[in-house]
Amino acid sequence: MPNIDRREFLKLVGAGGVSVGAGFMLRESTKHPREYLIPHVVAPEDISSGLSTWYNSVCSMCPAGCGISVRTREGRAKKIEGNLSHPVSQGRLCALGQAGLQALYNPDRLTAPMRRNGEGTFEEITWEQGLKQVGDRLDLLRAAGRGNRVALLTTGVRGHLAQLFESFMRQLGSPRLLHYDYDHPHTLYAANQQFFGEDRLPYYDLQNTRLLLSFGADYLSNWISPVHHSLGFGESRQGPADVRGRFVQIEPRMSISGAAADEWIPARPGTEGILALGLAHHIIAEGNYSGADRDAWMAALADYTADAVAEQTGVPATTITRLADSFVDTAPSLAIGGGSAGNHSNGVDTLVAVNALNYLVGNIGQEGGLVFNPEPAGPALQQHQASYSTMLELAEAAHHGEIDVLIINGTNPVFTLPPTAEFESALAQIPLVVSLSSFLDETTALADVILPSHTYLESWGDDFPEPGVGFSVGAVSQPVVSPLYNTRGTGDIILDLARRMGSSSVMPWQSMEEFLKYGWQRIYQRGDSQTLAQGFDAFWTSVLKAGAWGETKSGNTAFSLNPDVIAGIGVAPPEFSGSEDDYPFILHPYLSPNFHDGRGANLPWMQELPDPMTSIMYGSWVEMNPLTAQQMELSEGDLVDIQSPHGQLRVPVFIYPAIMPNVIAIPIGQGHGEYGRYAKDRGVNPIQILSPQLEPVTGSLASSATRVNVSATGKRVKLVKTGGTSRDLGRNIIQTTGGSGVEVSSVSSNSIPITEVTS
Amino acid sequence: MSLFSRFLDGWRKYRKPGYYEKFDYHWTMTVDLDKCTGCEACMMACQAENNIPVVGEDEVARGRELQWIRVERYWEGEYPNARLRFMPMMCQHCDAAPCETVCPVSATYHNQDGLNTQIYNRCIGTRSCAVYCPYEVRYFNYYDHGWDSPLEQQLNPDVTVRGKGVMEKCTFCIQRIRQAKDLAKDDDRRRVQDGEMQPACVQTCPTKALVFGDRNDPESQVSLSMDDPRSYRVLDELNTDSSVFYLKKVDA
Amino acid sequence: MNVSIVPALKVLRPAAMLVIVVLVGLVLGYWANATFVPGDSPEQPIAFSHKIHAGDNEIPCLYCHTQARRSPSAGVPAVSKCVGCHLEVATEKPQIRLLMGYWENREPIPWIKVHDVPDFVHFTHKRHVLANIECQTCHGPVETMDRIRVTSRAVDGSAQAGQPWKMGLCLSCHRENEVENGTDCWTCHK
Repeated sequence: MPNIDRREFLKLVGAGGVSVGAGFMLRESTKHPREYLIPHVVAPEDISSGLSTWYNSVCSMCPAGCGISVRTREGRAKKIEGNLSHPVSQGRLCALGQAGLQALYNPDRLTAPMRRNGEGTFEEITWEQGLKQVGDRLDLLRAAGRGNRVALLTTGVRGHLAQLFESFMRQLGSPRLLHYDYDHPHTLYAANQQFFGEDRLPYYDLQNTRLLLSFGADYLSNWISPVHHSLGFGESRQGPADVRGRFVQIEPRMSISGAAADEWIPARPGTEGILALGLAHHIIAEGNYSGADRDAWMAALADYTADAVAEQTGVPATTITRLADSFVDTAPSLAIGGGSAGNHSNGVDTLVAVNALNYLVGNIGQEGGLVFNPEPAGPALQQHQASYSTMLELAEAAHHGEIDVLIINGTNPVFTLPPTAEFESALAQIPLVVSLSSFLDETTALADVILPSHTYLESWGDDFPEPGVGFSVGAVSQPVVSPLYNTRGTGDIILDLARRMGSSSVMPWQSMEEFLKYGWQRIYQRGDSQTLAQGFDAFWTSVLKAGAWGETKSGNTAFSLNPDVIAGIGVAPPEFSGSEDDYPFILHPYLSPNFHDGRGANLPWMQELPDPMTSIMYGSWVEMNPLTAQQMELSEGDLVDIQSPHGQLRVPVFIYPAIMPNVIAIPIGQGHGEYGRYAKDRGVNPIQILSPQLEPVTGSLASSATRVNVSATGKRVKLVKTGGTSRDLGRNIIQTTGGSGVEVSSVSSNSIPITEVTS
Repeated sequence: MSLFSRFLDGWRKYRKPGYYEKFDYHWTMTVDLDKCTGCEACMMACQAENNIPVVGEDEVARGRELQWIRVERYWEGEYPNARLRFMPMMCQHCDAAPCETVCPVSATYHNQDGLNTQIYNRCIGTRSCAVYCPYEVRYFNYYDHGWDSPLEQQLNPDVTVRGKGVMEKCTFCIQRIRQAKDLAKDDDRRRVQDGEMQPACVQTCPTKALVFGDRNDPESQVSLSMDDPRSYRVLDELNTDSSVFYLKKVDA
Repeated sequence: MNVSIVPALKVLRPAAMLVIVVLVGLVLGYWANATFVPGDSPEQPIAFSHKIHAGDNEIPCLYCHTQARRSPSAGVPAVSKCVGCHLEVATEKPQIRLLMGYWENREPIPWIKVHDVPDFVHFTHKRHVLANIECQTCHGPVETMDRIRVTSRAVDGSAQAGQPWKMGLCLSCHRENEVENGTDCWTCHK
């Protein structure tokens, strides 16, 4: 190798060096990345690597109280399923319940206690600091006899946590214990109290009914106990019985239950009760009711002839008489009412009228009808449920400086109360607002101290489903994973605060678990001799294992109607806020099947789950009748301004074939200003424009009684949805048959597609 | 084997990919449209069980959602007689699947249990199978979709997390089938019993509209359900010989 | 016309030399890494010797890897399991002192994984153990190793040290033993 100069040589050496390095790294990069095998220090009893462990617990994503089984692997929750031995869910679960995993593993969870500092931002503090600040204040107030200046506002909890809240507030001497949920059916409770004298809801036996008339109750998606109702629906439809159950839905906008029904009848909003009385009138007039109080009924219902009712409701008289006749002829039958029908100015009267229908055909206490529940075995208090008026009173008290401390647990009134309640400014008047939420929701964002709770999958609790399933049921909610963050159970926080204000003699329990065991002693005592012989610990373990406890004790079977009720029967026409001229449309806000009252909006799974009826994801929309839209020259995606007497929203149009022409519908659930990255600044919240129209008996918000005006903006957006062509177009994909197995027709192909995706 | 019978055998296999004289198990699902309420609990169960990522608003807007099972909706009639009908649609596990013949790398094939299966690490992402599928139930990963920490702690360790460029679809929860078989083997090598194993969607369906089982067992719930006079298969005219039977909705 | 390539070669010679040097360098570097830093037998936080435990003292594999007969994963023993014996046995040895250090601090030992299959592979120890497959069939002569090394198996059944498992290993064994559905992709893929 002649004549390599120094320069060349150095080049070669350099290149050689670099390439040796490159070769070295090339080999290195093909190696398996280093992984670790981290053993336990002491092997826990219930974790075997590679094997799943199942824990039974209770779902807290909505108030239904379904039993759940959670699959865990290596100490992490993997999947939530229904608990087979729990009578409410029977091994099944809805979408929101299954998405509870994303509440547990949500990246936007609050991870430690926080306090608002001088600049108005939150800074992290220790639990001792946070609990001391709150506990000292409570102790001071209690010692000064001013405990009544403390208010506790919680979501509608049941079980021993509710009892704990009660004793806590009793120790403070404060009557301001409020359970607040936007969707609590106040009018249903009041109507049942009026008609049956029961302060519990009855069990609606969908499974055995052969004809169901639902007045506005979306029983398959959001009303009371959707999973249990779905089970009943399936059984009634194609169960072991020879006769297929028939379902009729009466509501201004087709809900999931309306789509599932055999017949969907749009009645003018707020006239559902009048329609029910029209049916009742026809039943009696046709001589199909022969009770001793027949004449009293006839007198009370004299005005509700089919023709008069048809005039008021917009439902043809022939439909009314046909429904009434089949309601009598089909046994057992059942009428239920709720949802939007109960959220009008005449809500209680409407639901009383629905009860009257059940009474007249003898559905009460019958299998396949309406069965009374027994007294729950544990605390399932409903008397603290706060109506809209009660919340107004709280806000007013705060404005008058009568509240010193407000403790908020799991409820988000800033989001679920219309701004007319002025709750936000009320919070500003309260010197110490404490939030126990797991997430930074709109209300928590305004708190002074945040003591973040565990999610339900990390904490102890129990539940006595309300309404029950016709017999006594209870279930214990146990932690399925160890806490992820520096959070604590709600019950443990309350017990700690109680200790700090010197109530440990009355509330001596060190933890929620201990209190639960104490409380369940009473239920254990109800057991038979065999259970008692085994001792409490065995009983407790068996309840935890099964995830449910029950006894075959049913409620009242005898029922006699108070004659005064009959005379009081009658449904006044609904009142709406805003004049028909200025506000030609009636706003129908409905609970989103995905987000419930908005609590599900921070779960990415729920955001990307298409809305069942429209297939829209991620946003809000307003549903409009095709004809109305045509008249207003609106098409899908056109942005419109919705104006009520109390506010305005801008939202895209979705053409909805099954909504009354003078009604527009917006789902509740989106439109969060806080609540984490997935929920924030997405869509609109129709609660924000509701008028403060009240149902006078209960003082609850008549949330379906707001009139609005719709104006085009000329702007458009593309709705994010998965549905393609919304019609079958003769492809015969969904086939139908006329009766049990007898082919009559397939889907007609003459429909014109109204909405099509432009791609 | 004579040359001719070998040819015939080959021809049959060509005509009917995944050709087996008889499947070991013949996993089949029935969907009762009269019971389905469109609640989408099945979709959520599938998403949780099978590590299906959330693709985000922008991707959905471009039609790139991932839904192994979806609920289709068809409107019929006009107000006030408008009706909405729902139909859960998932991979039909066709015994003569168009997608299987077209895959250039045999990443999708028919196995001895009558399942149309997809091997993720074999897939090279030509997307031909999605084009050939008449049910549009194959979904493609256009990106590596992540999970915002700590959401990944929920991931099911029995199911692969698919990467970018890979086609994926309903497997009838094959990981659950495998586990059921494993347990059955423990018990003296017996067969998997009816109802012992259910895919996540069937397991959670609140109205029990979905039924799953082995068609080879004439006593199984799914065999009985298949024989219902309302039973039909979607797009049966394409001779896909699918393993999902729908029970007609009753118009009463 | 007479064309010579000699001038061209003269110009190209430095470039050619560069190419040769780079190639040799690459190979050298690759080889050096493979030979001196094989990474198939990483140094563990505690120099645990399978030779002493499984070889000299003939402790059965399943005594520590208890999960193997009932779970897909064989399981790494909890620290308490080690301490169970070593409270009494060989307490003064430096490595045991290390172990007791972890135990007293209630810290897990961060063992480095040696044998691994890709995430898309479904492998269950349970089925193989219950079928009376020797652990050594796949893991190699563990009882002779002071430090565990990646070991595979050749077609003739002999152990191949330093070789990771390949799909062929599973398939050949499944074929040989006529495993039920042993060659169906979804038996091992997930």
